[in-house]
Parts: sequence; C-alpha cells; structure tokens
Amino acid sequence: MLAIRDLEHGYSERTVLSVPALEMPEGTITALVGPNGAGKSTLLRVLAGVERPRRGTLSLAGKPIRTRADALAARRQITLVEQHPLLFDMSVRANLAYALKLRGERPRAAGTRIRDVLALVGAEQLADRQGRSLSGGETQRVAVARAFLVQPRVLLLDEPLSAADRTARGLLGTALQRFAQTGTAICLSSHLLEEAFRWSSRLFALVEGRLDSVTPENLFRIDLPPGSGSRTVRAGPLALTIVSDREGPVTIALSPDDIVISRQAFASSVRNQFPGRVTGISDDGRGHIRVTADVGTEIVVRITPSALADLGLEIGTNVVLSVKAMAVRIF
Amino acid sequence: MLADGLRRALTLLVHGDPEVLGIAVLSLRVALTATVLACFVGVPVGFAVGTTRFRGRRVALTVLNTALAFPTVIVGLLVWLLLAREGPLGGFGLLYTWWAIVVAEVVLAAPIAAALTAAAVQGVDPRVRRTALTLGAPAWRVHLAVAREARFALLTAVVVAFGRVLAEVGAAMMVGGNIRHQTRTLTTAVALATSQGDFPLAIALGLVLLALALTVNVLLHMLQGRGYAGDT
Repeated sequence: MLAIRDLEHGYSERTVLSVPALEMPEGTITALVGPNGAGKSTLLRVLAGVERPRRGTLSLAGKPIRTRADALAARRQITLVEQHPLLFDMSVRANLAYALKLRGERPRAAGTRIRDVLALVGAEQLADRQGRSLSGGETQRVAVARAFLVQPRVLLLDEPLSAADRTARGLLGTALQRFAQTGTAICLSSHLLEEAFRWSSRLFALVEGRLDSVTPENLFRIDLPPGSGSRTVRAGPLALTIVSDREGPVTIALSPDDIVISRQAFASSVRNQFPGRVTGISDDGRGHIRVTADVGTEIVVRITPSALADLGLEIGTNVVLSVKAMAVRIF
Repeated sequence: MLADGLRRALTLLVHGDPEVLGIAVLSLRVALTATVLACFVGVPVGFAVGTTRFRGRRVALTVLNTALAFPTVIVGLLVWLLLAREGPLGGFGLLYTWWAIVVAEVVLAAPIAAALTAAAVQGVDPRVRRTALTLGAPAWRVHLAVAREARFALLTAVVVAFGRVLAEVGAAMMVGGNIRHQTRTLTTAVALATSQGDFPLAIALGLVLLALALTVNVLLHMLQGRGYAGDT
C-alpha cells in the first residue's frame, strides 16, 4: 500500500534516517522498534507526508507521490497518530466531528460512526469530556478513534501504547488488529519489543536510522544495571558480554544471522562463546537453515545449507555458538 | 476652571450636542474603516510570516517590528507627500478628506495587525498544523485550524490596531487638516479645542475618547483572559 525507496533524511549535516526500501502491504501491521532517538518518529512523520525527506520517493498504492496534488491526495489516505497527540479545545465528540469537517466531509450518520469508533477503543464514556482535560492515555485512545473515523488506507501510530495501562493496551491492540483486517496498512512504533511482537505481523528494528528485520527468536528481557561500555550481564542462563550505556528494563536480541556456529571453541576476538548441543534443524522456507541449539536455553541460528553440510551438523552434535559483544542488540 | 469645564462638558454630553456627536461618529467611522483595511492587509501578511519558512523571513519580522514603532508624524509626512496634488497619488484628490486619515492610519495599523498576528500564529502548538495535515485537510483548512487555535490572540491584534487608530493624532492632523464636519476627529478636535481655550468641548470630547478607549481595553482584557484559559 505504502512504500518508500532510497529514503535519506536528516537535519543540516546529520543524516538521521537511511532506509533503502520499506513496504507496508495492506492488511498488515508493521512494527518499528528501537530505542529513543533511533529515528522512529521522524520516519513516521516522513511516511505521513508532514516532513519532506531530503531524498527518496514515497508511493501509495503503486503510484509515486510527486506533485502537491499527489501529496494532498496521499494525506487524505494516510493518517498519523503522534506519540503525544493533540486534541482541539472542544469536546471529544466535537473533536471527532471536526476531523471530518477538516476533510470537508459531511457524512450522514456521523454521530453513529463517532460512537462506534469511540467504542472500538473503549472511550465511549469520554465523548462529552473536554478534549484537553483528558489524561495522556485517554488522549491517545481518542486520537486513535479519530484516526479510525477518517478511514485511512494507511494508519501510522507513534508509540500508541506508551501511555496506556495494561487493559487499554490489550484493547488498543485488538482494535488495531481488527482495523487492519479491513485492509488498512498499519505501521506502529514501539520501544517495547514484546508488545510489538504481539500485535504486529512484521517487525523491523530501527537503530541509528537504519532498518533491520527482527525475528522473534533469541530475545531476553532483562533489567540492565547501571554501567557503560563493554560489560557482562546475565540474560537467563547466559552470561553475556554486551556494549551499552543503557540501564533499566531492556530487551536483548541475538539475531540468528549474527551468531556463528562451530564444532569447537576457537581463539578469537569474539566475547561470547556458549557450548551446547543441536536440538533442531529445519528449513526456514527461504533457502536457509534454522539450527536450534541448547546452550542452557534454546538459541536459533540461521546458516546456509552448504555451511550445514560442511559442519556435518545433526541433532545431538556438540557445538559452540559465538556472538560478538557488538552484535548483541539492545532495545 | 476644571470643575466648571467638567460640569459644562457633562451638559454637552447629556444633551447630545450635535458637534460632539458628529465628531465622535466621524472618528468611529475613520477608525473602523482603517482597522478593517489594516487587518485585511496585515493579518494575512502576519499569518504568512508567522507560519511559513522562507528566505528573508527574519528580515520581514524585523521590518514589521520596526514598523510598530514608526513615528506617526513621519507617516503623516509620507502620506501627505503621496497624496499632495503634485504627489504620485495626488490625482485622487484625497488630501484633507477623511479618506486621507484612513490611508495614514492603515499605514500605521497594518504593521501592528501583522506583527501581532505573526506572534499569535507562531505561538500555536506545531501539532495543530500537523494534526490537521495528517487528517487530510487541504491547505486552507489547515490555516483555518491554526487561526481557530489562535483566535483570541488574533482578536487581540484587531483590538490593538483599533485602539491605535482611534487614539492617533499627529498623522490625522497633518493629512486630514482638522476641517470641521469633514476631517475633525476626536483627537484632533481635543487638540484644537484646548488650544482655543474651549475646555468644556475639549473635556467632553476627551471623555468620549476615554470611554471608547476604555471599552477597547476592557474588550482586550476579556479576550486575553479567554486566551489564557484556552491555553491550559
């Protein structure tokens, strides 16, 4: 539905985004995960057409957006819900009606539709409240309802779950999945990897402005103690050397493509080596082999069929998994 | 002298003296016309300067803010030279008509309307524009949403421009000529009556002017109160 090619964006000298290609097919939920400052909000604003990228083309339904008229037509079909959305200083109900008015629409049965979208996000009891008297979480839900109301073909949401409590998150997630089923392409950003996995059909990590697809394997949710640079932390049964200045709850990801599998430990600069046993070998359907190894916990490694043959791996083979400290990703 | 003047001024006001009434009506007519025209020019300019990014925007803002402090006698002189029979706009024969005062007041008030409008729309949360854009609004409706958000500040700009025009004396005197029944406004009449020693008339006209100015300020105060309440 919405696609981007050769995107490059930045402010003055600094390049903050560099995305060669990204596609959002209709009916799917694409999630962007990454730490704060990774460029998630900027990417969403570029996709929404409110920020013009330095380079690159956006296309909607296969047609590139070039002229002003294209841009306006695209904006009518793409909606962005910001992380801290703005409601106008009127009642919630009037806010939703105003969204339709801004588009120049005067649909019949707008009242019923407004009630329906508010119910979808569990906000029907907020209808008569003043928009600017709502809490952060309530504002987010109303803003999502407003986005549903204008029936976009592409719905972009910046951290839609950040201010919501557990119940509201469940509600919002379900609402988004149902909305995606109507054929809308949804793209949301989140710094919570698990949330993103739960609600999305495709997941990309955005780290320092670059996209990287993430698989749901080899994730560890840990509480990172304060510290900086290269250090060793416990991730489940593993003692993992990482490089990070972060602290607090994080998700640690070992990408199956970044793990080296060998029959024996070898002398190298690799900080993390875990001995274990192969417990599973399968074809990933895309010409690569997924090898699962138990190193105290199950870790998935992706290798080529020829590597599998060279190593002579079978179920039960003793192996060593190696990961560079720099290759351990932290969200 | 003051007490006597005040007593006789009140008599003039209570009896609806035609001279006082005529001057007040002319003043209001000049002020309203000039304010409407000044805002017609100034508000869109201020809006453009306040919302769009273009080369020379800083310069434009500086020019506007300088124009705020433009001495009224200089404006009077410039407009006089423009409208004088040999001047570039002399052919219209506007000098010493109430329209000449309107022209001078527009030159004075348009920068006020523009500068305050620019400040008003610059103060609007940038999310207002983005939200309207992403909801699929065409450009003019995006502007309308921004203006709606800044409505109290925009009304303030109009009221301040009106106050400026109503109270201005130097330029009105120079290009209007203070001609009785034609270009004699409240301010120029007060100046003349005072110099002629007609204190009852001067005080009566002064009271009318004060009442109008007070009304404007009360209005302004109310608007600003609403504006702040809306910000929270």
